[in-house]
Amino acid sequence: MGVLQKSKPARYSAVGLVRRGLRGDTWPRVWREVPLKKSYDVVIIGGGVHGLATAYYLATNHGITDVAVLDKAYLGSGGSGRNTAIVRSNYLTPEGVAFYDRSLQLYKTMAADLNMNVMFSERGHMTLAHTDGALRTMHWRAEVNKLQNINSSVIDPAEVKKLAPSLDTSSHPRYPILGALYHPPGGTIRHDAVVWGYARGADARGVEMHQKTEVLDITVEGGSGPDGKGPGGTVTGVRTSKGDISAPIVVNCTAGWATLISDMAGVRLPISTRPLQAAVTEPVKVFLPTVVVSGSLHVYVSQTDRGELVFGASVDPFNNYSVRGSLDFTEELASHVLELMPGISRMRLLRQWAGLCDMTPDYSPVMGFTPVQGFLCDVGWGTYGFKAGPVSGEQMAYCIATNETPELISAFNLSRFAAGELVGEKGAAAVGH
Amino acid sequence: MLLVPCPNCGPRNSADLRYFGESHERPNPASASPHEWRSYLYLEDNPADWLKESWFCRSGCRRYFTLERHTGTNEFRSPPMPGNKVGGKA
Amino acid sequence: MTRRLPAQAGEVINRSTPLSFKWDGGNLSAFEGDTIASALLANDKRIVSRSMKYHRPRGYLTADFWDPNGFVQVGDDPNVRSGHRLVENGMTIDPQNVWPSLDYDMKAANGLVGRFLTAGFYYKTFIKPQAMWPVYEKVLARFAPGGTVDLDTPHGYHDKRYAHPDVVVAGGGPAGMAAAISAASLGARVMLVEHEHALGGHLRWGNAEDRRLLDELRGKVEGAGVEILTNSTVTGRYEDNWTAIVQRSHPIAVERLIKARAKVLVVAPGLIERPYVFTGNDKPGVMLSGAVRRLINMYAVKPGERAVVFTGNADGDAAIVDLERVGVTVARVVDARQGENIVVAKGGAKALDSVELSDGSVIEADLLVTAVGWTAPTSLLNMAGDRPVYHAGSARFYPSAEIHNVLATGGIAGDGDADQLLAHAEATGRLAANRAAAVAHRVQDLTARALPVQGPEPTWPEDDRQSLPRDSHPALFRSTTHGIVDYSEDVDSKDLVAAAKEGYDSVELLKRYTTATMGPSQGKLETVNTVAVLAEARGETIQEVGTTVWRPPYAPITLGALGGRVFEPVRVSSIQSWHEANGATPILAGAWVRPDHYGDPAAEVTNTRTNVGIIDVTPLGKLDLQGPDVPKLLNHLYTNKWSQLPVGSVRYGIMCAEDGVVLDDGVTGRLSDNRYLMTTTSSGAATIWEWAENWLQTEHPDWQVHVTPVTSGFTSINVAGPKSRALVSRLVDNVDLGPDAFDYMQVRSGTVAGVPNCFMWRIGFTGELSFELHVPSGHGLHVWTALLEMGNDLGVKPFGLEAQRIMRLEKGHFIVGQDTDGLTKAPSLGMNGLIKLDKDDFAGKPELAWAMEQSLPSLVAIQTTDPAEVPTEASQIVRAGTNEILGRITSSRMSPTLDRSICLGQVLPEAAPAGTELTIVMIDGRRITARVMEHQAHFDPEGQRLRG
Repeated sequence: MGVLQKSKPARYSAVGLVRRGLRGDTWPRVWREVPLKKSYDVVIIGGGVHGLATAYYLATNHGITDVAVLDKAYLGSGGSGRNTAIVRSNYLTPEGVAFYDRSLQLYKTMAADLNMNVMFSERGHMTLAHTDGALRTMHWRAEVNKLQNINSSVIDPAEVKKLAPSLDTSSHPRYPILGALYHPPGGTIRHDAVVWGYARGADARGVEMHQKTEVLDITVEGGSGPDGKGPGGTVTGVRTSKGDISAPIVVNCTAGWATLISDMAGVRLPISTRPLQAAVTEPVKVFLPTVVVSGSLHVYVSQTDRGELVFGASVDPFNNYSVRGSLDFTEELASHVLELMPGISRMRLLRQWAGLCDMTPDYSPVMGFTPVQGFLCDVGWGTYGFKAGPVSGEQMAYCIATNETPELISAFNLSRFAAGELVGEKGAAAVGH
Repeated sequence: MLLVPCPNCGPRNSADLRYFGESHERPNPASASPHEWRSYLYLEDNPADWLKESWFCRSGCRRYFTLERHTGTNEFRSPPMPGNKVGGKA
Repeated sequence: MTRRLPAQAGEVINRSTPLSFKWDGGNLSAFEGDTIASALLANDKRIVSRSMKYHRPRGYLTADFWDPNGFVQVGDDPNVRSGHRLVENGMTIDPQNVWPSLDYDMKAANGLVGRFLTAGFYYKTFIKPQAMWPVYEKVLARFAPGGTVDLDTPHGYHDKRYAHPDVVVAGGGPAGMAAAISAASLGARVMLVEHEHALGGHLRWGNAEDRRLLDELRGKVEGAGVEILTNSTVTGRYEDNWTAIVQRSHPIAVERLIKARAKVLVVAPGLIERPYVFTGNDKPGVMLSGAVRRLINMYAVKPGERAVVFTGNADGDAAIVDLERVGVTVARVVDARQGENIVVAKGGAKALDSVELSDGSVIEADLLVTAVGWTAPTSLLNMAGDRPVYHAGSARFYPSAEIHNVLATGGIAGDGDADQLLAHAEATGRLAANRAAAVAHRVQDLTARALPVQGPEPTWPEDDRQSLPRDSHPALFRSTTHGIVDYSEDVDSKDLVAAAKEGYDSVELLKRYTTATMGPSQGKLETVNTVAVLAEARGETIQEVGTTVWRPPYAPITLGALGGRVFEPVRVSSIQSWHEANGATPILAGAWVRPDHYGDPAAEVTNTRTNVGIIDVTPLGKLDLQGPDVPKLLNHLYTNKWSQLPVGSVRYGIMCAEDGVVLDDGVTGRLSDNRYLMTTTSSGAATIWEWAENWLQTEHPDWQVHVTPVTSGFTSINVAGPKSRALVSRLVDNVDLGPDAFDYMQVRSGTVAGVPNCFMWRIGFTGELSFELHVPSGHGLHVWTALLEMGNDLGVKPFGLEAQRIMRLEKGHFIVGQDTDGLTKAPSLGMNGLIKLDKDDFAGKPELAWAMEQSLPSLVAIQTTDPAEVPTEASQIVRAGTNEILGRITSSRMSPTLDRSICLGQVLPEAAPAGTELTIVMIDGRRITARVMEHQAHFDPEGQRLRG
């Protein structure tokens, strides 16, 4: 594999800040700007947390550094910069729990690993239950979690009130709070910093980041479809807006455009693309110490250290590739949030936005090899891609480096759909942030 | 709120309708292979382009129908909707 | 009010109505019509807040809605824009983000270490030790800007309104008024929406000629039949011109959201004056020209004593005239058009005392006025798909796209004299009205049910407006020094340059890294300066760098207004009043509120099993199916066979989706040759209705079936227990209820308690002899009370959902959605006899055929070894001595009938055989043992009772 191009990054620290502050120096670039080469060992499409983490772990864990990460806009311009930055591991299935728990571990040590403060705030994560059915599902998750040593339990309304006094735990609302699944290790993280941290770490080990570089086509030979694409084919490279690249390995790490990129290789996916909207309020003094989620009301909310409430909801009701927000989203969001926290009616919504989510039929991703040799996917992340970023990068890197599917992601292979073996997260599908 | 041109009720708020997504041909259940049947169940074209899709006019005529919509601009092609077209001048 | 001027010709304050209010604990006075900002400045309160990061004292910069320094707390209302909110008598106003006080702020110490707290500094520190970050985080959170939410704030009255105007005009300045007048003159229904408290825009703080024009336009627009909304903002333009208007001026509602489906939207918000970037530009005493002119002309407030005016345009020049007229000494005019420049605003932290110019001179002043140009607030156009384009000659952005139903006019469209601007606005109004007429024609034509349209569709009116000129304006973004770019985020131009050099060098990355433009004014003041500083750092033009996308809302809107009135309806049966009066504990089940129990569910079970009980099962989904092809539909929806169901019979069936997963279950009875009544689960009622229609309309349009939902048309009562026949027979006289005449799984129609057209069927979830009565809902309560009266001697008692759940579990009946999940296929239910693969087709058939070949998890009855242990539902079943999951408990209860714990569970095939010993992990972590039972029913597995 390629020549290791090491550039020694300036270490971030308080001492460094003071020294540079005194001297008036600026810091070196977080990642270099270099011209696109004609060939790479690995081309990663999508400069979000998944693509960058894959590149970072390829370089750090496997010494594969002749890697280009391509993004049609700027790094973190897709879902990585549009999500509500919640992390947790209290999933329903043993596969899901193991996978997300590994991600959470990586998030926990990320600041030190990447020498970048990603502001992981282990503030606890609470999923409210408003019906006895929802409470049963919370117990289900908690019990599966406990068997895998995940800190997760069902708490009663009094404990909910203690953790988040702004919630209305009285019995009169239309959606009374009957209890909650409480997951103390869950929390929030500064999503952009994760993107920049991985990019900086990958850059330091020789990986190239190419922004404003759009992939126009993927070249495949020997496949059963038109132009030699499709099952049975072998990837030879990509065509981009900045020139053609030859590469034996091309990885689709996009969200929102996963179908369009996979189509370029002739691989069909079980994905429909839906916008997911989010919104933020003006800042107020901090009053909400944990992440609060209500599946029945399709809302999740946390308060940033700056004092803004960040809200998310469920995906839009129809397929769409545009990221414009809608008024109905903010109306429904506000009425549902006020149902939970009646005291905040005078807070003002400051901004709304949307990101694209690739939804799969079983609320689980599509990871690993495809019927096209050399074309790998890390897609179909629905509304939960950010929290899986680190572990996905680590596992995809392993997959690429060893040409073997690691155990942790074997349940997420594309072939499961043809086999009718869907992942059990569908078992209790609800909003699950 | 998108206006959806119900063929019976005229343009209606999208919240009045239910979206059923891409219209896929149902394979013959007597002869379909698992691969064919599961392609019908799970695979999507999901284009960033014109898409023929099913809607159900839940709060209106309660008819199912297919429409062609552009998934980038949300424009409906048949029948065309007034206004809402963006064209660059500068 | 030491700084109040004598009466000004255009003042909007009412001197005959003095007001008093509290500011920062002290009492101050004002006049009606004062904003909080004008009142504070009239009282010589020049410092209103502290900045976010460095806690620098801040005074008014724009003294209007967008002022980044003017956020205050008014009672329980945080983040009030004091440049906009009018003073009310007795108001309590406090500064925000100060500790311990506005005058002396401890956190101002941050300012001393400012050079280390560069934008993004937090990404580079607090890294080690990792365990310390939560501590730092708590400290940082203390510095969060913004006001305080009182969590006991009442929701308040909010309302929403739908409107269907032809034209909405966003902006009530001269252009907006002129456009509204001309649109209305062509017969269009027009809503004119003005952000400020009165129409007029910049004419309100202009000269005598401006005031004359304002009077003229206001007179015309008020007489034109236009709906005028002041102190209201068009906050968003969504698809198909779905337009959000927040009305802050509603007489009752705190804030009202108006949703208008505008056929055409006219965007005329005017221009927002841009601050200038230079050292000291955030000192109290530095103001924009618009602020100074508003304060003098509208509020009669003297903004300073001795001023330096830095001007690049006519508005700056006009400010000089205003200042001199009211006796402010204009110590120096610095004319940017002559190449003159200001460099540094000097003074202590709390006030300006002098201004250093580019020629080196230092002029003493307590007021520095800048007039450096404009930002075009193109937000609403952006939301319609426009991307603004920079025009270097006039140093501002303009809309670029031609959008058919969104038209721009006024300052965002260009410059020119008043006549040119008004002519453009009038032409825009005409175009809007004509296009609205064309849209109306098309909409009516597309609506088959509407009245037929008259005449041919009008040709789409072309945009023949004469473009407005663009006046040349010097490009004034930053002086030769660095200064604040984003006031609300405390981001300075040096931060932006440093961040760009570090690689955050596209406008979006820069914004995310430094948080510039992310604060409460959302870039209205900061975006263009941010772009200009980045362009300079990159050595590119402003056009090359581009701008950010302005997202909704245009102006912040309260959650109360968005949420509206709390309106979450629930469904109840016609018997609900009786339940409430008789001590029922309610439970929410989907959209329904129904009795969970009447005090003692175990006693309800025992009474039903011993005597007779009645339960209100109205939420049960009910579909009336009519037509010759109903059997075909039933054969398609259910997995079992329906062709031979005789009239008067009822059959149970399971429905699956196309992937073989259990969708619903229930019974359907044949009432007559061509009429059937189908019941579904309560939660499945709407889904199954649409599911049936889907098959009928898409795959089998030739089948003749009418589907009518009758869930709430009938009140449903199940009469269960050994004495149920005795009870029902007392109310029914024309139907033979004898066991031979009316067998199990049969249906009859007749009169119940004098109510004709009732249906009765002999089925029951409880496992007892049961009669399920479906009574026309108007008579539901009558039949219910009649049952209780007539059955008094039989011991009849009502029972609730909980008792029913216990009894169905005793009988081993599963509940779809509780004992099944999103992956449970029909063969897991242990009822393979009901899956008829020899039928030609039915929903999910191929998957079920394949599933029958596989070993799937099974639903089994389970009993714990210790009869007193009731595992919580969802407790996991594991391989003994390990954490390997073999299944879970899906239902569990203490059975009053068997006096022991009973369960249903889903287990893997290896754990499914009867007699298998299971290990259950209780939620407290203890492990108990249990056994798989032979029958799914714990009680009466032969079903003798219900056949009785």
